[in-house]
Amino acid sequence: MNIRHVAAGLPIVAATLSMTGIGSGALASTHHAGTAARAVTAPIAAPRPFGPACSTVPATGKGSFTGMAADPVATAASNNPVLSTLVTAVKKAGLVDTLNGADGITVFAPTNQAFAKIDKKTLAKVLADKKTLTSILTHHVVAGRKTPADLRRGRFTTLQGGKVATRGSGTTYKINNARVVCGDVTTRNATVYMIDTVLMPAM
Amino acid sequence: MEAPASTPASTPVPAPRVSAAFGVLAAALALGGAELAAALVGRPEAGPLLAVGSVFIDLSPAWLKDFAIRTFGAADKLVLLLTLAGVIAVAAGVIGTAALRRPRLAITALAGLAALAGAAALSRPGARPADVLPASVGAVGGTLALLYTRRGLRPRPAGQVTPAALARPGQPVPSTAQPARMAGAERRVLLTRGSAILGLAVLSGGAGRAITSARRSSADGRALVLPRPADPAGALPASVSLNVPGLSPFTTPNDAFYRVDTALIVPRVPHQEWTLRVHGLVDRPVELSFADLLARPLSERDITLTCVSNEVGGPYAGHARWLGVDLAALLREAGIRPGADQILSCSADGWTASTALESVLDGRDALLAIAMNGAALPPAHGFPARMIVPGLYGYVSATKWVIDLKLTRFADERAYWTRRGWAERAPIKTASRIEVPKPFAEVPAGPVTVAGTAWAQHRGIAAVEVRVDDGAWRQADLAASAGPDTWRQWQTTWQAAPGQHRLEVRATDATGHTQPAERLPPIPDGATGWHSVLVTVT
Repeated sequence: MNIRHVAAGLPIVAATLSMTGIGSGALASTHHAGTAARAVTAPIAAPRPFGPACSTVPATGKGSFTGMAADPVATAASNNPVLSTLVTAVKKAGLVDTLNGADGITVFAPTNQAFAKIDKKTLAKVLADKKTLTSILTHHVVAGRKTPADLRRGRFTTLQGGKVATRGSGTTYKINNARVVCGDVTTRNATVYMIDTVLMPAM
Repeated sequence: MEAPASTPASTPVPAPRVSAAFGVLAAALALGGAELAAALVGRPEAGPLLAVGSVFIDLSPAWLKDFAIRTFGAADKLVLLLTLAGVIAVAAGVIGTAALRRPRLAITALAGLAALAGAAALSRPGARPADVLPASVGAVGGTLALLYTRRGLRPRPAGQVTPAALARPGQPVPSTAQPARMAGAERRVLLTRGSAILGLAVLSGGAGRAITSARRSSADGRALVLPRPADPAGALPASVSLNVPGLSPFTTPNDAFYRVDTALIVPRVPHQEWTLRVHGLVDRPVELSFADLLARPLSERDITLTCVSNEVGGPYAGHARWLGVDLAALLREAGIRPGADQILSCSADGWTASTALESVLDGRDALLAIAMNGAALPPAHGFPARMIVPGLYGYVSATKWVIDLKLTRFADERAYWTRRGWAERAPIKTASRIEVPKPFAEVPAGPVTVAGTAWAQHRGIAAVEVRVDDGAWRQADLAASAGPDTWRQWQTTWQAAPGQHRLEVRATDATGHTQPAERLPPIPDGATGWHSVLVTVT
């Protein structure tokens, strides 16, 4: 007898484990349709969100990446302090339900800093004009969930009808002239790329 | 020390390694035996690994859970169980090594581990005294395995040197018999014993697994023959359904019915073993078996369920035809004592709900349901029995896998979600949603069908209105009503002009109350606001 027998012990326990059926199949929750079992159900894609602004996302709770993955996109955004201006705009335009109810979309989400680049008077005017606001906001939404690979050299028609060009690689991407500051964030129904500049549609 | 000269030559002796391996084998047998015992008493969740794993999940801080979910994703439970198995293997190796020289200590350590596992099993919600059995059986199995293999390593008569003798410090070692390796015969004995234990471990664990899965398939009620209802509901008129493509069906199929609960694993409760206790502020506490339930007159009712966590326009609502016994009659038979104002119901997995007693007793069709849409309740929807109370959100009424009804007072006891900031009483709020067209849909200009569902359970829907781009509200056409406890479909035709347009809906219930515009989140007692959908007309 030699040391190999000791090493053989671990697979034995592992085999007992899988045999007793208490591997992932039995314990993992596969069927949660709801928010009731939030913490344990969030389906997290293996690749982690990337970008400098990701560090501003809360580490725990509903506003964390884990929390956001369990909620539909507008609800998820409302729990993220970095996106509060966007959330205000979405509410003013009455787009919360549409964003939450859409089936598989990509949202380029301007951060508060992006909105801060617009002068206050213009921003107030846009926020008061539902039609223009709707145009601008839907120019930040693309049908389907786009991966970073899709953004390497992409051209997409937004749900507003305009076009956006994307380019980049690794952890650096641009949507038109906006830089992705935290990308590939998963929510229940949308993939989110936070950007540092508001995208303006041709109007 | 008399033996130092001889120790260098004795270093290759493999005894500690061998006994460590035997320790791990003993642990495997302990786990296998425990699994078999857990299966035989019908409590697979009381097995040591699941019980300790569940306790660990409950006790771990939020940051650790977040880290685990983020790092391992859906495999987090598997990682936990494998880590647990690794820890057990290391502990077993140490115990096995110790068994060589200090058998009592080793057995004590093994008993200590088993006691921990037993305590973990007993600490789970809904635990029974029998839950300590798997850990005890495991401890006995592990101990016997340790003793059995130890015999193979026992000191031999003089002239032969055993690893055990070599390892005993302070004893002279006869220099004449220093085996560089173990004798062939001894090696064979050890191999045989090791294989025997491994075989037993695999057999017992496998048998346990087989029993559990056999039980589970009998516990899903597929073989159950449902009695005829004493009070059938009659066929639904076709006019309750509007023939609009994309509109959800009036009756939600069981496999498409929403599921919101706190269960990590769907509880599997064999109906043969199920009992329901009715106790608390009653004159005559009763315990009912499933056969008792089937022997009572059964009513068939059409009731729409809604989850309080449903956001405006959300998916957590569904309609089914339920078969069950009259819950109010059951409670009255037990003799409700004055002062009781709450039914605290408990599920097989320890979740609790508080239901206002007055709502159940006010004449509505509160049921203890056993079937859904003509089939026994699917396990995910509460087999063998669940509560259904028309007009109340699920978290205060629709306990699945219900095993305990306690009449009590709101002032005295609080249920699972009430302790987490949700309201004590939660009647379903009037709600409506647009299902056609879909969010962000592109539709051609001209007449466009707008359709959806509205609900105000136990009051009924009286009117639905639709408006476009904040314009004037227009009445939609309602499908026939299937009763106040069900949702109601609606539709209207919109003359769509090109551009982006926002459609909005609101409903009025039969008491004349119209949904408020104000947006409130689901917590604490249900979301409010008018559902809207943005579409592009081309």
